[in-house]
Amino acid sequence: MVLVLALFGVLALVTPALTTKLGPKVFPVLALLPTAVFGWTLAQAPTILDGGVLTEAYSWLPQFGIELSFRMDVLAWVLALVVTGIGALVLLYCTWYFTPKEPNLGRFAAFLLLFAGVMWGLVTADDVIVMFVFWEITSVLSYLLIGHYTEKRASRGAALQALLVTTLGGLAMLVGIIMLSSFAGTTSIAGIVESTPPGVGTSVAIALVLAGAVSKSALVPFHFWLPAAMAAPTPVSAYLHAAAMVKAGVYLVARLAPGFAEDPAWAPIVIGLGLLTMLMGAYRSLRQHDLKLILAHGTVSQLGFLMVVVGFGTPDTAIAGLALLVAHALYKATLFLVVGIVDHGTGTRDIRELSGVGRRQPALVVIAALAAASMAGLPPLFGFVAKEAVFSTLIEAGTVWGWIALVGTALGSVLTVGYTARFLWGAFRTRPDAEPTPIHASSPLFLAAPAVLALASVGTGLAASALDPVLAVHGAAIGEVHYHLALWHGLEPALFISAGVLALGALLFLAKKKVAKLQSGVHELPLRPDAARAYWATTRGIDHGSAWIAAFGQRAGLPGYLGTILVCVIVLIGGALVFNRSWPESIELWDHPTQAVIAVLMATAAIAAARATHRMTAVLLAGVTGYGMVALFAMHGAPDLALTQALVETLTLVVFVLVFRRLPKRIAQRNKPSHRTVRLIIAILVGVVMAIVGVVALGARSADPISLAMPELAYEEGHGRNVVNVLLVDIRAWDTMLEVSVLVVVATGIASLLFLDGRAGSAPRLAGIRERRSWSSRRKVGSEPSRTEGGTQQTWLVAGRTLSAENRSIMVEVVVRLLFHPAILVSLYLLLAGHNDPGGGFAGGLLAGLALVARYLAGGRYELGEALPVDAGKVLGLGLILAVGTALVPLLFGQEALESTYWAAELPVLGYVSLTTSMFFDIGVYLVVVGLVLDVLRSLGGEVDRHAEIAADLQRETRPTGLETDTEADEVATDGGAR
Amino acid sequence: MSANLVPLVVGLPLLGAALTLVLGRNTKLQVLVSTVVLTAVAVIAGVLLARVGEEGTAVVRVGGWDTPIGIVLVADRLSALMVLVSAVVLLGVLIFAVGQGLADEHRDTPVSIFHPTYMILATGLFNAFVAGDLFNMFVGFEVLLAASYVLLTLGGTGARIRAGVTYIIVSLVSSVFFLAAIALVYGATGTVTIAHIAERVADLPDDVQLLLHLMLLIAFGIKAAVFPVSFWLPDSYPTAPAPVTAVFAGLLTKVGVYAIIRTETVLFPGDVLEDFLMVLAVLTLLVGIAGAVAQADIKRLLSFTLVSHIGYMIFGIAIGTEQAMTATIYYVVHHITVQTTLFLVVGLIERMGGATSITRLAGLLKAFPVLALLFFIPALNLGGIPPFSGFLGKVGLFAAGVDLGTPLAYVTIAAGAATSLLTLYALVRVWNLAFWRSREEMESGHQSRLVSALAEDPDDSGGTSVRTTPRIMIAATAVMVVLSVALTVLAGPLLDISAEAARNVMDPSTYIDAVLGGAR
Repeated sequence: MVLVLALFGVLALVTPALTTKLGPKVFPVLALLPTAVFGWTLAQAPTILDGGVLTEAYSWLPQFGIELSFRMDVLAWVLALVVTGIGALVLLYCTWYFTPKEPNLGRFAAFLLLFAGVMWGLVTADDVIVMFVFWEITSVLSYLLIGHYTEKRASRGAALQALLVTTLGGLAMLVGIIMLSSFAGTTSIAGIVESTPPGVGTSVAIALVLAGAVSKSALVPFHFWLPAAMAAPTPVSAYLHAAAMVKAGVYLVARLAPGFAEDPAWAPIVIGLGLLTMLMGAYRSLRQHDLKLILAHGTVSQLGFLMVVVGFGTPDTAIAGLALLVAHALYKATLFLVVGIVDHGTGTRDIRELSGVGRRQPALVVIAALAAASMAGLPPLFGFVAKEAVFSTLIEAGTVWGWIALVGTALGSVLTVGYTARFLWGAFRTRPDAEPTPIHASSPLFLAAPAVLALASVGTGLAASALDPVLAVHGAAIGEVHYHLALWHGLEPALFISAGVLALGALLFLAKKKVAKLQSGVHELPLRPDAARAYWATTRGIDHGSAWIAAFGQRAGLPGYLGTILVCVIVLIGGALVFNRSWPESIELWDHPTQAVIAVLMATAAIAAARATHRMTAVLLAGVTGYGMVALFAMHGAPDLALTQALVETLTLVVFVLVFRRLPKRIAQRNKPSHRTVRLIIAILVGVVMAIVGVVALGARSADPISLAMPELAYEEGHGRNVVNVLLVDIRAWDTMLEVSVLVVVATGIASLLFLDGRAGSAPRLAGIRERRSWSSRRKVGSEPSRTEGGTQQTWLVAGRTLSAENRSIMVEVVVRLLFHPAILVSLYLLLAGHNDPGGGFAGGLLAGLALVARYLAGGRYELGEALPVDAGKVLGLGLILAVGTALVPLLFGQEALESTYWAAELPVLGYVSLTTSMFFDIGVYLVVVGLVLDVLRSLGGEVDRHAEIAADLQRETRPTGLETDTEADEVATDGGAR
Repeated sequence: MSANLVPLVVGLPLLGAALTLVLGRNTKLQVLVSTVVLTAVAVIAGVLLARVGEEGTAVVRVGGWDTPIGIVLVADRLSALMVLVSAVVLLGVLIFAVGQGLADEHRDTPVSIFHPTYMILATGLFNAFVAGDLFNMFVGFEVLLAASYVLLTLGGTGARIRAGVTYIIVSLVSSVFFLAAIALVYGATGTVTIAHIAERVADLPDDVQLLLHLMLLIAFGIKAAVFPVSFWLPDSYPTAPAPVTAVFAGLLTKVGVYAIIRTETVLFPGDVLEDFLMVLAVLTLLVGIAGAVAQADIKRLLSFTLVSHIGYMIFGIAIGTEQAMTATIYYVVHHITVQTTLFLVVGLIERMGGATSITRLAGLLKAFPVLALLFFIPALNLGGIPPFSGFLGKVGLFAAGVDLGTPLAYVTIAAGAATSLLTLYALVRVWNLAFWRSREEMESGHQSRLVSALAEDPDDSGGTSVRTTPRIMIAATAVMVVLSVALTVLAGPLLDISAEAARNVMDPSTYIDAVLGGAR
């Protein structure tokens, strides 16, 4: 059976290509597949009629207990025949329905064919999840097919509506079937029907599953999507929305009825909603003027009817239900196809316009009349046989629900007769007061598909007794069968009911003017419930509610997000602290009172920084907290950390200064006083909570920290007396390696932001100046000093040629020049000595970086280029390679990553030299730090200089503009508060 | 043997970053290096996944230092799977980005930007997945965040800087809490090796455990974008260039989810916070999807679905059974792939259709049928339509929820179903308007009632379509779509792996024994 599905899939895939070649003639080709499958299915008759089942299963998701299992019993067999038989005929019919010019025909054909396959899978699947998979795919295909005329708003809206409504039910059903399979311990539908224990949970699950069936089969209150779905091309309406897809809900109810008809949730939903739907659909059908809508509301009505009968739950009603299902599929598909032909020929489906169609198309009238007679329940058609069976079996059921169902379905049938007659009359009458509607000719073969179906209605009716064995098997699977299908049962109560229904229905038709008047009276009543309007109200409600939620969540922007996070911390952590019972017995406030003094200083500086109105003030105050850290590190006996932190603070300050040159001095953020109070409270609470949680966490320690063993290990295994350095370059070098990459990223990030349209190369060197000089007539920057002084000045100090005189201080330049090389030497010393004494690659690199900073500050960006004439990216890359190399090379020697190796030797001149491989790592760190500083100076220094010069140029040329960069930067900086 | 492969997962991309820096402006070689590195990592992760299945969890004691003194890298099935999926997704996006020419921009900067940054992002990501040391995990987070700051602000437009400020500050705050949490954990237990913490934390009083637990959850919750600390995300991700958003959406939040999984299983096993997490899951699902429904801009819409669907994973973690964890892991893989794919598709839409707001898109089906297909399949997948992976993941989660059977579990299932429907609604609406509707209708100015309540992107300045779209971009997207479909086709084997991974994860002693081994 999987093979069948695969064939459908493959053929659907090639369909678009085939359609391009064949045009509408592709449909007969496509119809071959469902025909073949119909034949194959029919050939299984011996097994099925014997009461046997065909099964097939493949493992798919054993973890969830889901397997690709198929099971064809008589119910599945009958539906499979309906699906493939009608599918083949509808495909054939499409050949004449569409013109070769029809757009998107390939897609349409593929979807329709695929649908046939999926529907076949739905009725044969045994695994409930697999069944659901097919179930949802039919919804999606239905969506795509209803929306076939994509340019029509109504089509698109109807498609979306159908998808949402059926998926809403589908999801409820999904939860329901997952519950059922959990209760039953199996995902096999047959297993679920057999062995689900009754209970409240089961009732809820059943109600959920039925919600899916009800929405799919367009029962009240989900009935509205089906008439709207008539926006689809007529073959789609005939197949999906009459014969096949909407039957899925009915099928499911028929499937589950044997196991769950006794459940308290079952009857009210299935029978109650079914009857309501039957009456309401039929009533509405009488109001329609569009032939297709008459049928659509009629279909809704009939689906309700079917649901009542197949869901009733006795073996006999099951037989009647299945017969009715087949009868409905046959006549309803016929009638839709007939409407398609009328529409195709005349271009209208409005019964107020149509006139004289019947006289000119007698064959069509015969076909339609046969199908309509079956729908109305006239003998000897199959519709009559089925309806007889329904009435008889309901009477025999003898329960309260049985009588309710009988009365309801009989009433519904009366209405059915009424709208059936009205349909025939409306489509084919000749109006005395109007010209006959023009019809354009089409191939007589167009009639073939509906003709076959109409004949099938007749044939099955006449041969009802021959079909009885099939249905008997279906009934027998549920229980003892009493009823037997036949055209003539003798003078039974059901026959009289049928006769009464026909008579009353005929009266209803004859009194159609009065009925219409009555109906329009009802229609004008206020407060009529209207499900379609409810749908729109719901979606609008969702849209507006969502808009409100989204706006609420994002209303305050960044301050809002931060506030939420901080309040969460206060509520969660603070809340947990309130209930905390594990407080430390004693608290050691400090090792030395100076720590407290430093802490107070730091806290004060931090608060002041937050209140500062000038950028520079804020940064300096933040720097105080940093230097406070330096002091704390130093007091803890960590000179390395203190040194590094001090260098970092200094460099940070330099960077800030470089950035602030181009920003307004004041922070342009003004908060409302009320905001300030709220924020103050949040800030204080977060601080208090964090402090207390620190006390609790630290006080809870019972085990020794791992750090106690580190100094000894560092010396013995890391061969370094400086435990901090060994920690950085050996014990936790993996962290360092990654942190180094953060430095690299920072460098790229700054460059990315500043060099949006910048110039290439390493830091500009003198060659660059010569080039610039040639442009000097156009861009006056720096040209004056270079011409007047540049020639005479010694080349040792580049600034002479590149900076204007008022920006220079020769004294500083000379001092910096003299100190530069010693500084680099010291930095190298720090790098090499780091393993045993304070220092290390990070500190060394920072010092070298500061030396570069000094050169830049003194001599400008060209001086920088002279000081280190290399590409910052290469320095960064090389450093990173060294660090990663140290990490990965040991792997080649069968060691762990980053495992260090140690050499020591007595060398001439240098004396005792010891070397660990972690030294290379440290050199890598050094290089990355230098590269970062170089890059920052190039970006925030040199490039910002250049921006400033250009801005100044512009200002000089066109007075009014100029400070563009300023305002933009200001906007960015204050945005956090403003948004 | 397999242990030797673990450091390579981090080392190779870092080396790649170094090489691409040194290669400077030789874009072709850079592309080659990046591609080779990511392919290699994917292969290594695949081998690791197979190996740890046979040999058990791979543990690397970096530098040969004994645990818990040194840093330890741990690769169990979950880690290996996450690295594998991430590497594949990163590779797909890289190719897309190269096609878009993103990698060629900014030729004039002193350091080449895109490739090194992208490689470092990968480094941090992979490191976070294999870190066996809480502080090292933090470092991994920082590395990937630092790289993400750069990628988010590529191009430096006003909108991106604005989004970048939001993103960076929120991320920094979350990092501060993560760091504080590590300090507190170290304060209380005296160690940072995850397995060692797990052993020691169990001896702490319950109240202190709860405090540490909540601290970590807050930090990871922000990264994973769990309600209520999730609203920053749709305000920062969508402004980045399409491939960058794609990577962020697919991967960054999942690092948070991964960390939450580790927190809930290794560090603090048990169901202390089960109900709390489940309530969070419900709110994350519903509030997130409400946000999505309200957006006209597809990028913002997808950012909200991203937040919303994190709720499914939190739900699975909250249930805390092996079955739930299996479904969660599968869902994580699904979500990484599909969400990334959809953002790439939006990148194509932006390029071909000239806009990302459904009020200004139309006629795409007619104009670009292939694009329509590339959108439709992952959209259905995200919308939970069977038989796609989003559906399968949900079935697993719902089934686990039903088995748990508490009222709260049923509420969460209902929220999950509603979210699924609304996701479908939001995405199909995009299809209705952007793909089905004709250009003429859009230009006629008729306002669809589908969009009357929608919020536009405040930063949207309107764009113009680019006439040519490199085939390589379409090809990369198509491959991603195929991969997302493969999650269904190969659902059986993938669920096997997920189930095995879940078994490892749910039995913390496997992890702890592997790491501490003889050290005890």
